[in-house]
Amino acid sequence: MTRPDLSQPRAAAPGTGGTVLEVDDLHVEFRTRSGVVNAVNGVSYRLAERETLAILGESGSGKSVSAQAIMGILDTPPAVITGGGIWFEGRDLLQQSEEEQRKVRGPGISMIFQDALSSLNPVYSVGYQIGEMFRAHRGMSKKDAKKRAVELMDRVRIPGAGARVNDYPHQFSGGMRQRVMIAMAIALDPRVLIADEPTTALDVTVQAQVMDLLKDLQRETGMGLILITHDLGVVNEVADNVAVMYAGRIVERGTVDDVFANPAHPYTDGLMSSVPQVEAKGGRLLPIAGQPPNLAAIPSGCPFHPRCSRRRLGAAATPGRECATDLPPLRLVVPGREAACHYSEEVLGV
Amino acid sequence: MSESTTGATAASGALRGAIGETLLEVRDLQKHFPLTQGVLFKRTVGHVRAVDGVNLTMHRGETVGLVGESGCGKSTVSKLLVALEKPTAGSILYKGRDVAKMGGRALKEYRREVQIIFQDPYASLNPRMTVGDIVAEGWSVHADVAPKKGRLQRTQELLDRVGLNPDYVNRYPHQFSGGQRQRIGIARALALRPEIIVCDEPVSALDVSVQAQVVNLLEDLQDEFGLSYLFIAHDLSVVRHISDRVAVMYLGSIVEEGTDEQVYTAPSHPYTQALLSSVPLHEPHLRGQKDRILLQGDVPSPADPPSGCRFRTRCWKAQDICAQEAPALVDRGQGHPSACHFAEARTVVPVDVE
Repeated sequence: MTRPDLSQPRAAAPGTGGTVLEVDDLHVEFRTRSGVVNAVNGVSYRLAERETLAILGESGSGKSVSAQAIMGILDTPPAVITGGGIWFEGRDLLQQSEEEQRKVRGPGISMIFQDALSSLNPVYSVGYQIGEMFRAHRGMSKKDAKKRAVELMDRVRIPGAGARVNDYPHQFSGGMRQRVMIAMAIALDPRVLIADEPTTALDVTVQAQVMDLLKDLQRETGMGLILITHDLGVVNEVADNVAVMYAGRIVERGTVDDVFANPAHPYTDGLMSSVPQVEAKGGRLLPIAGQPPNLAAIPSGCPFHPRCSRRRLGAAATPGRECATDLPPLRLVVPGREAACHYSEEVLGV
Repeated sequence: MSESTTGATAASGALRGAIGETLLEVRDLQKHFPLTQGVLFKRTVGHVRAVDGVNLTMHRGETVGLVGESGCGKSTVSKLLVALEKPTAGSILYKGRDVAKMGGRALKEYRREVQIIFQDPYASLNPRMTVGDIVAEGWSVHADVAPKKGRLQRTQELLDRVGLNPDYVNRYPHQFSGGQRQRIGIARALALRPEIIVCDEPVSALDVSVQAQVVNLLEDLQDEFGLSYLFIAHDLSVVRHISDRVAVMYLGSIVEEGTDEQVYTAPSHPYTQALLSSVPLHEPHLRGQKDRILLQGDVPSPADPPSGCRFRTRCWKAQDICAQEAPALVDRGQGHPSACHFAEARTVVPVDVE
C-alpha cells in the first residue's frame, strides 16, 4: 500500500519514483447565462507511482470536472480554470501552451470514460482507432500500428484479437468496448491513468472483470491510477487512498482502510450509513437529509452544513468554528487523515 | 417444493409480521418478440425469447426482489405484470383470476390495483403537466377512487405523504431534483390506492444519499398501506435490503428463488454464486476474503438461447446433461428452489460478524 508522503518535493522528474501527478489548489468555474457555477473550489492532491487514488463523490461534486481539467478536455468556454496548478513531470501544465500540453499529456496521462460506446468513433474499426495512438504520437506506419493494436487487444484480454481488430465498436459488448478504451489508454504506457466511472454502465459480473484488468495492468506498468466513482464498494476493493468530494471540495482524505473503518467527516459518515451492503440485510438505512447543493449557490460556511446532523450554529458553536459562517479548511485530524470539518475529532471519537 | 417454499416464506413473513394471502401468481410466463426482415413484406425470421418461463408468487404485504443483469428480461416481466404487454404463453393469476381472460371492468380494476414506478424520473413524468395534474391524472379514468370535490386536497395530502411540499402542486417536473421526481412518481402510483406496486429500478438513477431516502419512503408506505412490491433492480445490495424474497433471473427465466437469507448466504445456482461474488464489499476487513468467481464470455443472445440449461455456456459445472435437459426450478435439497442439475449451496459473500 502506498501513501502519499506529504513531505516530499512536488512532482518529481520521471523515473525517480514517488509523486507522478500533483493537483494544486485547482479552481474551475462554469460561466453560464444563468450565473457562475463553481464546480471545483480548491482541490489539491498528489498521486504516487503504483498508487490507486479514488475520488469519491455524488453527481455535481466536481469529481469529473477536476479530472477533465487535468486532461485539458474541459469545454472552454463555458468552463474556465480560474486558479491553481497541475504538475506533471516537474512542470505546471496550466502554464504551458496547448501544443506543449498535448505533447506531455498524450503519452503521459490518459483517461477512460463511463460510456465506452459514445467515446468510440462508430465509423472506424477498433483496430484503426487503437492504432491511431501509434500513428499520431510515434509516427508508425498503418501496418505496424495495426500490429501493435492486435498486441494491445490481446493484453486487455479481448478474445480472438487478431480476428476482431477490423470489427467496429457496435459489434462489441459493453465490457469489450471498455476493454478497447483501456487498450487505447495504455497504448503509450502512460504514467497516469484517469478512470472516470469506468464500470458504472456495466453489469456487475463484467464490472469485476474490468476492475481486475485495470489492477493487473497497473501492477505490470506501475502507473498511477485515479479512479473516479460514486461506488463505495469499488473504492474499498480497488483503491489505496480515497479523497471524498462534496460541492467542489475535498472534504476527507486518507487510506481506504482508515476512512472506511472510521470516517472523520459527517458527509463520509452519512454516505456509509445510507448505502445498503450485500454482506448483511441490515436495519433501516440512515439517509443524508436534503439534496446535494446547487453549485451556483453553494451554502455559506461549510457547504455541507444544511444537511449535517452534527452542525453547530450560533452560540452552540466554538468561536471561529460556526458551521454556517466559517468555511472549515481541509486539515490534518489524526496522522494520515485530513478532513474539512470543524468538529472532525468528535466525528472520529478521538 | 411447495412445502419447503411456503415454509420459508412463512418464516420470513414472521420477521416482518405482515405477509398475508397470495395476491399474484405468475405461471410459466413467456413473452417472445418477433424478429422481422424486409420492409414491405415483413417476414418473421425468429423470436427474441425475452421472458421464457417465469414463475413467481406474491403475497400481500410482501416485497419480492427480482435481480438480473441487463437483457435478462426483468423489465419485460414488469411490463407484462402491469398489462402493458400481452404474454405469449403462460398466465398471470391475480386473486385467482387470469388477467389475460379479464375483460372491460375487471381489467380496468386490475390496472388500478397494480401500479408501476419507473427507473428514469426524467422521462416518466410529462414535462408539460403540473405535479398536481400528474398525480391526479389516474382519477380521470378511475373516478370512483377520489370524489371530484376533494381532489386538490387529496393530491396535496399525497405530496405531503411522499415528502414533498404540498404547496408545490402547481410546479412542473423540471423544477424538481431526481429524488423529488421519483417521489412524484410514487405519489402518482399511490393515488389509485393500489395493492401491488411494480418498482422497475426505482432508485438506480439516483445519487446514493438520495437513494436511501426513497428506499425508506417505500418501506414506510408499505407498512402504512399494506402494499406489496415487486422490486426489480440490478443492485444486489439494495435488493437484499428491501426484499423478503428474491428471485434471480438469467436470460429470460428464473434460476434461483428463496428468502433473502437463503439466496444471499447459501446461493446454490452457479449464476447466483458468480453474481454475488462480483459485488464489491464495503468492509475493509472483509476484502480479499471473498471467493471470486469470474465468468467467462458474454450472455448469449435471447434470440438463440443455448439448448438445455441457459447458463451452461458460461458454467464451470456444465456436463452433457446440461445441454440436453433444461433443469426445472425445484428444491434440490438446499431448502429453496434452484434451476441447476448440480445445485450445491456455497458461501460466496463473507458474513459480516461485526
